[in-house]
Amino acid sequence: MFRSKRKPGDFSAELESHLQIETDRLREQGLPEAEARAAARRAFGNRTHAEERFYESTRWTRLDLLWKDIRFGLRMLSRSRASTAIAILTLALGIGANTAVFSLLNAVLLRNLPVQQPRELALFGRGQWAGSLDDFPNRSMQLFSYPFFREFRQKNQVFSDVAAISSLLFTTHGHVAGGANLEKINAELVSGTYFHTLGVDPILGRTLTAADDLHPGAHPVAVAGFSWWQRRLAQDPAVLSRTVTIGQTVYSIVGVAPPEFFGVTVGQSPDVWIPLAMEKEISPGWNGLEKNLFQSLYVIGRRKPGVSMEQASANTNLVFQQIIRSYAGAQPSAKQLEDLKRARIDLTPAATGLSMLRHQFSSPLEVLMGVVALVLLIACANVANLLLARASARQREIAVRMSIGAVRSRLIRQLLVESALMGFAGTALGVLFASAASRLLLMMVSGSEPVPISVAPDAQVLGVTLAVSMLTVLLFGVAPAFQATNIHLAPALREGRGTSASPSRHRLARGLIVGQVALSLLLLAGAGLFLRSLINLTNIDTGFDRQNVLLTGIDPVGAGYKEDARLEDMMERVEGSVGALPGVQAAAFSLFVFKDGGWTTGVTVPGRPKSPNDGDVDHNVVGPGYFAAMRMPIVLGRGLDERDNRAARKVAVINETMARTYFAGGSPLGRTFRIGEPDKENSPEWLDLEVVGVVKDAKYDHLTETTMAAAFYPHAQHTSYLYTLVTRSTGNSKALIPAIQRAIAAIDPNLPVTDSTTLTQVVDESVLNQRLVAQLSTFFGVLAAFLAAIGIYGVMSYGIARRTNEFGVRMALGAERHDVLWMVLRESLGLVLAGVAIGLALALALSRVATSLFYGVKPYDPLAIGLAVVAMIAIALVASYLPARRATRIDPLIALRYE
Amino acid sequence: MSTREEKERLELLQGTLDLLILRTLIFGPQHGQGIARAIEQTSADELLVEHGALYPALQRLEAREWIAAAWGTSDNNRKARFYRLTRAGRKRLVEETTKWRRLAAAIGRILGPEAEEG
Repeated sequence: MFRSKRKPGDFSAELESHLQIETDRLREQGLPEAEARAAARRAFGNRTHAEERFYESTRWTRLDLLWKDIRFGLRMLSRSRASTAIAILTLALGIGANTAVFSLLNAVLLRNLPVQQPRELALFGRGQWAGSLDDFPNRSMQLFSYPFFREFRQKNQVFSDVAAISSLLFTTHGHVAGGANLEKINAELVSGTYFHTLGVDPILGRTLTAADDLHPGAHPVAVAGFSWWQRRLAQDPAVLSRTVTIGQTVYSIVGVAPPEFFGVTVGQSPDVWIPLAMEKEISPGWNGLEKNLFQSLYVIGRRKPGVSMEQASANTNLVFQQIIRSYAGAQPSAKQLEDLKRARIDLTPAATGLSMLRHQFSSPLEVLMGVVALVLLIACANVANLLLARASARQREIAVRMSIGAVRSRLIRQLLVESALMGFAGTALGVLFASAASRLLLMMVSGSEPVPISVAPDAQVLGVTLAVSMLTVLLFGVAPAFQATNIHLAPALREGRGTSASPSRHRLARGLIVGQVALSLLLLAGAGLFLRSLINLTNIDTGFDRQNVLLTGIDPVGAGYKEDARLEDMMERVEGSVGALPGVQAAAFSLFVFKDGGWTTGVTVPGRPKSPNDGDVDHNVVGPGYFAAMRMPIVLGRGLDERDNRAARKVAVINETMARTYFAGGSPLGRTFRIGEPDKENSPEWLDLEVVGVVKDAKYDHLTETTMAAAFYPHAQHTSYLYTLVTRSTGNSKALIPAIQRAIAAIDPNLPVTDSTTLTQVVDESVLNQRLVAQLSTFFGVLAAFLAAIGIYGVMSYGIARRTNEFGVRMALGAERHDVLWMVLRESLGLVLAGVAIGLALALALSRVATSLFYGVKPYDPLAIGLAVVAMIAIALVASYLPARRATRIDPLIALRYE
Repeated sequence: MSTREEKERLELLQGTLDLLILRTLIFGPQHGQGIARAIEQTSADELLVEHGALYPALQRLEAREWIAAAWGTSDNNRKARFYRLTRAGRKRLVEETTKWRRLAAAIGRILGPEAEEG
């Protein structure tokens, strides 16, 4: 505050000159030299004191002053413990909620990968899980084939190295370190260049190299993930002599990745990394190392130093076009040339890695971030109001201090120090809340399987929190501090303890209430809309009965099955054995159930011309009991049964939409179709399929999908790995788990039985996002309304205490209690209605932005918004009724003597 | 009220001292001793300014750029630090004068009846 460039010596010289001049003057008046000097000193007073005050005004003493302010602030805060505690708690809630949501947002969306120079990494495409296993590239490509990756790595000039990563994290089963039990292992298949591209060094042994990824099936090596090494092998230092056996292959562990490294996909934590060359061994049903168009890999490149994203993009697309062009052969078709024109690679920065979570959660997390920011604003408004009320109580103290010479800026600073102290206490408590809350949030996000991401607050999160809390302090502290010191001394000194505040102060308090109500209404209305969306989603007719269905996973690959008669025999025996268990109505294997993805292609019906409106058909391979287990009613013909075996005619059951689209104007029964285009080669397995029945339409992958054509085929005619057994029971399906496990073990003790969930759970988790947003926005909406209620209560109580005298007079003059009550309520109602009006406008404007998160609800849904308005007004009335009732109990006699 | 108490009160009344300094400087640049003398004389020696209290006040006013200072030579050829009013200081003086008049009047009204009761 004091800007001092003067040296102490200069100041002393000035004082010396003063004494000299004064001595001169007194001597001229006739005093002898010695006496004149003494008199001058006397008149000067305490010279040391003056010099001390000069020092005080220099920079260093400001720290000392700050310390004084802090001690004074602590004293003032401890004097009104209740309101201080409320303020700190309010701030802690606001800051805690912000920190918690931000930790998650940071972990999912913002944090850089723990690799060298993450900014040099570029992802090919946008990381969407969208590829094709046989189509010619014809758009912005997301996934790539292994031959493409190998050739690209050789030919490009802009990347120092390029890595490919399987887009599927394989959950398989194997024997660890020669153990007898089959254990679940998450294996990520990566190119040999993976660790080199990322710049990740092992903490033990070595990582994979390009030499580990040359010949299909020839490199049985694995790098262990740190947490798996820690969890499964207890950090055994002899890990390098251990092996993992998956299927028939024995993998040697050659190294251990560093603790912070989890791969490039946020939200996944592979147990082992295995070279892509081993794809067929890990995943016999899903491999295409030699197929040019088997596009299933993510590709990440590290730009050479000095190569910009634009340069990298230009060279990448050039090489991409050359390579793809060569796939078309010497005589590319017109369609291929057309496709090639549209095919491209959009490079995106990959510093933060890949994440399915990101696609799934970025918009809900952003909405939540907005919600908690609003809650924090409301909390700030509350604390500001509290400070205003406190400043009023201290009005006289401040007036006295100013009249005896305290500088306003000094007082403001002191009040701000008090606010900052509250802010820091609130932040500290808030960070504590946050560490619990972010774990809770992560649990809510995770569904049945915990998502392996770290949400512990890191430096970045704490930095943001600190910034937020500083901003908070400024927000709630500055206005009251200015208000408190903006007083007219004379009336303030004359007045008794807190009888009337300046009108502008009251205006600020009331403005804060209006703002709080507006924001709370916004949050309540949003919560209402999200809740309605969730209800709509859960009421969607799925076309199947989700109750009492157990989904049991098996891993035939891990147990060493091939896609042959032995596998088929095992599946039929399991279906028969589980289906015969008491309490089981039907049991069937299925390729896909719900939320499993799908296999979709076009189909061709002989004699029917193609129409551009033909959508793809969703195919599924199931056991005969599938429709009974899912309770999908057959509306025409028959379902699948034991007659449909390998020797019999190939059959299919189609859904109503497929019947309508492809077999319009007649019964589809007995007609045939084939998968794929007529001009394409296809395995004979999928030609000449006869329709034997029509099943009711259903949802196959997610609740909001538009109804699509679907066809079901018996696994007896299309033996393949099916990983899910669907069991319908008469009662609690979870109770069946041990019996089912025993039944399967009796057929093949080596077959791993993986997790069991219920269909209800799977369906519920498919709307996890919407549920999360609905639950949390409701929680925060209620919290906000509660904070607003505290604010209203505080301001009204204060206003009534201030007007005790007035109410006394009114009642003495004959005002009835209900008159007084109404007077008070009217005032608060006015504020609330103003807030509601502003909040409504905000809600309508904002909800349009968030429409993608709504389902079946208009942004101006009258029910949701109406309920929010009614709730807000009700809450506000209760909050002002309590102090208002106190006003009616005023005894006029006591009130008039109140001063 | 003794003179001693009077002096202490003036020292505490920081805002007041500032006002008096600004007011004194309206007649032209002056050094510290001159300012002290001028206040004593114009108030007909009612107000006793402890000279030592003057300098921190001058320092403060200077820091706020209401006054500016430079070394010069006094009437009797002594080196002295001269202060003059800045434009901001002039403005401040007007504001402070108004404020003071209102405060004085208000305090006067309050103290008036109290004195009669006493």
